[in-house]
Amino acid sequence: MATTPRRFRDVARAAADRLDEPVREARALARKLGLDPYPVNYWIVDHDEMNQLIAYGGFQRRYPHWRWGMTYDRQRKQDQFGMGKAFEIVNNDDPSHAFLQESNSLADQKAVITHVEAHADFFRNNEWFGRFSGDGDLDAAAMLERHAETIQRYVDDPEIDREDVERFVDAVTCLEDTIDQHRPLAVDRDGERTRPEDLRGRLDELNLSESVREAVFDDEWLDDLADAEAAAAALDRPRADVLGFLREHGTVYDEDSGEAVEMEPWQKDVLDVLRREAYYFAPQKMTKVMNEGWAAYWESLMMGEERFAGTDEFLTYADHQSRVLGSPGLNPYKLGKELWEYVENTANRREVAERLLRVEGITWRNFHDAVDFRAVQALLEPADPIAGLNRETIDALAALPEDDPRVDWEALDRALSDPDAVDVDRYPWKVLTYEGLAERHFSLIKPQNRGFLGRIRRDELEELSRYIFDDATYATVEEAIADVDPTAGWERMRAIRESHNDVTFIDAFLSAEFVEANDYFTYEYTRSTGDFRVASTDPADVKKKLLLQFTNFGKPTVAVFDDNFENRGELLLGHRYNGIMLDVEQARDVLERVHELWGRPVNLMTIRKEYDDHDVEVARRRNREPEPTEVGVRIRYDGEAFETFELDEDLRARIEADDVDYDTKPDEWLS
Amino acid sequence: MGLREDLERFREVGEERREDLQSFIRYGDLSGSESERIKIPIKVVDLPEFQYDRLDRGGVGQGQGGTPDVGQPVGQPQPQAGDGDDDGEEGEPGEEGGEHEYYEMDPEEFAEELDEELGLDLEPKGKKVIEEVEGDFTDVTRTGPNSTLDFERLFKQGLKRKLATDFDESFVREAMKVAGETPRSVYRWCREEHILVSLAWIEAEWDEIPDDERGKWASFAEMADAVERTTTVQRIRRDGLREVPFRRDDERYRHPEIEEKKEKNVVVVNIRDVSGSMRETKRELVERTFTPLDWYLQGKYDNAEFVYIAHDADAWEVEREEFFGIRSGGGTRISSAYELAGEILEEQYPFAEWNRYVFAAGDSENSSNDTTERVIPLMREIPANRHAYVETQPGGTAINATHADEVADAFADDGDVVVATVKSREDVTEAIYEILQPATAKPRATANPATE
Repeated sequence: MATTPRRFRDVARAAADRLDEPVREARALARKLGLDPYPVNYWIVDHDEMNQLIAYGGFQRRYPHWRWGMTYDRQRKQDQFGMGKAFEIVNNDDPSHAFLQESNSLADQKAVITHVEAHADFFRNNEWFGRFSGDGDLDAAAMLERHAETIQRYVDDPEIDREDVERFVDAVTCLEDTIDQHRPLAVDRDGERTRPEDLRGRLDELNLSESVREAVFDDEWLDDLADAEAAAAALDRPRADVLGFLREHGTVYDEDSGEAVEMEPWQKDVLDVLRREAYYFAPQKMTKVMNEGWAAYWESLMMGEERFAGTDEFLTYADHQSRVLGSPGLNPYKLGKELWEYVENTANRREVAERLLRVEGITWRNFHDAVDFRAVQALLEPADPIAGLNRETIDALAALPEDDPRVDWEALDRALSDPDAVDVDRYPWKVLTYEGLAERHFSLIKPQNRGFLGRIRRDELEELSRYIFDDATYATVEEAIADVDPTAGWERMRAIRESHNDVTFIDAFLSAEFVEANDYFTYEYTRSTGDFRVASTDPADVKKKLLLQFTNFGKPTVAVFDDNFENRGELLLGHRYNGIMLDVEQARDVLERVHELWGRPVNLMTIRKEYDDHDVEVARRRNREPEPTEVGVRIRYDGEAFETFELDEDLRARIEADDVDYDTKPDEWLS
Repeated sequence: MGLREDLERFREVGEERREDLQSFIRYGDLSGSESERIKIPIKVVDLPEFQYDRLDRGGVGQGQGGTPDVGQPVGQPQPQAGDGDDDGEEGEPGEEGGEHEYYEMDPEEFAEELDEELGLDLEPKGKKVIEEVEGDFTDVTRTGPNSTLDFERLFKQGLKRKLATDFDESFVREAMKVAGETPRSVYRWCREEHILVSLAWIEAEWDEIPDDERGKWASFAEMADAVERTTTVQRIRRDGLREVPFRRDDERYRHPEIEEKKEKNVVVVNIRDVSGSMRETKRELVERTFTPLDWYLQGKYDNAEFVYIAHDADAWEVEREEFFGIRSGGGTRISSAYELAGEILEEQYPFAEWNRYVFAAGDSENSSNDTTERVIPLMREIPANRHAYVETQPGGTAINATHADEVADAFADDGDVVVATVKSREDVTEAIYEILQPATAKPRATANPATE
């Protein structure tokens, strides 16, 4: 490979032999399970190299910037204190590159490899990632390296001040999340318009006499016209891709002339480069829960249930897994994994229920009484040779009819003729097909899911039965269950991993059941006591709060509302207020940087919550929360100072969300 | 290009990015600092970005063994799943922590930086302090407090003594094995050889020599040829410096030359209204104004002392730790504080020796006539470099809050009395500037709405 990193080669070679087989087999297993990962190149790195890779976002060559140094420094300190140990890092590329920490035990390495294969599958098949790579070949490492070279060239250019490049990079980086991550990178030109020309300029060219001019085109009329045209031309809809907008229309302030001038070619170039990177990394930020959950799910299936870990390694693995999933707070691995399991279980339950509703005498009304769930459970158990598969029992497998789709006949033939060629004791999955494995791992027969079928709600059954016309297909439950397609769960999971992102995923699959089972709650800051307190345990509130944390990278949405505000060429940004206010201090800092990319004064509209001293006091005494006053403000920065203005009513109406409200505080506080 | 360069640049940037003093004073966490070490947070956390207000955002947590009750405090917010958009794919969950790093400065540096930021230049006045002893510790006496003991000298003398009395013990022992010699003859021979052994030592060691070794050597000359002598230095190198004999005679106590010097003493009296009307916001504004003033003056003067007085209708002296936290009910009588301040200053801090700064803060509410009848005369009576009243009135002045106006009117021509108004955090540095600016220039104070 041309991009083989030289510095890893020696160490990689040393440990490569040991991992050769696990890598090969994990990949084969992943494919058997229906995954379709990018090819993955594995590298073994020591912990310092790992810290470095983490700092640079999983790549070896990035543009020069102090931020990488900062992350590295922080990562190294965490590493020193034994916190934040990373087992691996894998990047979204074709082929993907996975870096495994040298100090991992063999059990860890195996787990990490299964995990990585699932990530590589996600990268390849999730459409949000596909938006960036498009139909073309993804070569992220090469792209980032080109970017690095571009920016390095400007840094080294004697004509350009190094500090200027850095400042410019800083300014753009502050806005890396104010893009339109739901659209592909190509510039969105909707809502754009040309700026109306002031008629005065044209009148001057006409050389009209003063008297005519005064009579027909007096100043008042001209001003009104300019205002009206400017208002009419205001952006029809706000532009979420602030970076793209600045790339198209931004200027820089020139100290010498005191005017806004066009960006230098290098500035446009840097902006392009950084914007492209923002779009490249956005899908990873948008699918953290899904992607980590997906990897954790398949890792667990391969390592735990398919015993990819040797018996002796299993305990190490189980311990590692429980530490990762058991860390407190809301952790994306656990949340994601459990949501995926929920998806799998509900799809499988639906499959089983649909079959059962077609049995004569079973309707959605009598379902819970007519069905003997214990008997169903027994019927769902995988057939003997499929479940307990080993060298001694493959004869039973071979005895199955020759067209049985669950058996990989070719592999079985090899195993029978040469037991050493296919080690059925170690890799029993080799003699099974996707269908066979689906039956072997059908989720509803797992001990932890035993009651799941019986817990199906009547309204769900009613809904299902609405679409079932031949409700007496089966005479017996046995016949119905024999027809159950065990791949239903996995098929559904793969369909969802293609189209969803974290927001839609959580919105669709976070159930009340799940919130309650995991003791999730929301908390809010209470002004009366000055600390954070549990605000609600209502699943609906928890879901809303979670959605807030995942919508738009968990950050407030800021868009361009006008690029010629008050007809003065000022930029007007708007924070689309959803009930949670901005960190105003930080927003001001960001405005300073935006000014560097706009060259003229910049404005930000937002809504602030203000608490009256007296109300806080009264609320404290009465043990409840004070009501804030929501004040619309426009913060203006002109390159030197900030000014704050009250926000016009119509502008306020434009930034206020009317349909989304993340306010989850209960009316009465019980404390 | 590469890690080393990025790391180096990060260190440089971090140094530059230290929160500037003004915004630290206005918005920063002042409580993390001690009076000797002022901690300015360094904003190396990251570049700014549009983010939700941390308090307003709230979050989602997970109960440990059961769902907690609504209203139960959750302690520090747990790391949020959406936090930290590290582009890297992996890393343990929940590892993010937005901790600040701190830049520490001492009050001197703080005062210097504040001078620079606010364009101040307060020249501390020296007071005539009679008989104040201060100077280099050059005089030496034979007695004194332990802390002034010149240990270096003591050690050197001890070492010299050790070198002077040290001898090669094993060599002397060999000499004691020469046939037919007595302790006295060995002693005499040793002395001829300039070995600084005592007769007592030889006598004490004499019986330790095993009988079968006596007569090992036929003569001193034979022994001296066969046995190599070691020098003191070699022995110290080999065995280390085991014992250095310290003697009382060697003890010297340094003590400073008596020198008449003007020492720069300052006493700062902080007075705060703690009555019921002083709510949290007002209280915080007082702390933001007073704390930097304290640091500044401490940095400017050689010797700074602080007096903290809390008052409602009565006044009492408190410790700094409690000062900003106290809340009482009660009414307000500002004169009570000035009475107490006057007493304390009179007794402990004579104006001839001490620079005095008397700062009071409150919401300008006072009991009727107290300001004109009592406070203003008291302020005139208490001599000080600077009297200041800081009015903290977020959201406009109440009708009966006239104290600041009355004081400003009464002292309109007196540059040593400053009245400053702090309505919000943004006003804090301006107020500090007004209070510390030289007495001759008083544009802002008179432009205060207080004077009409």
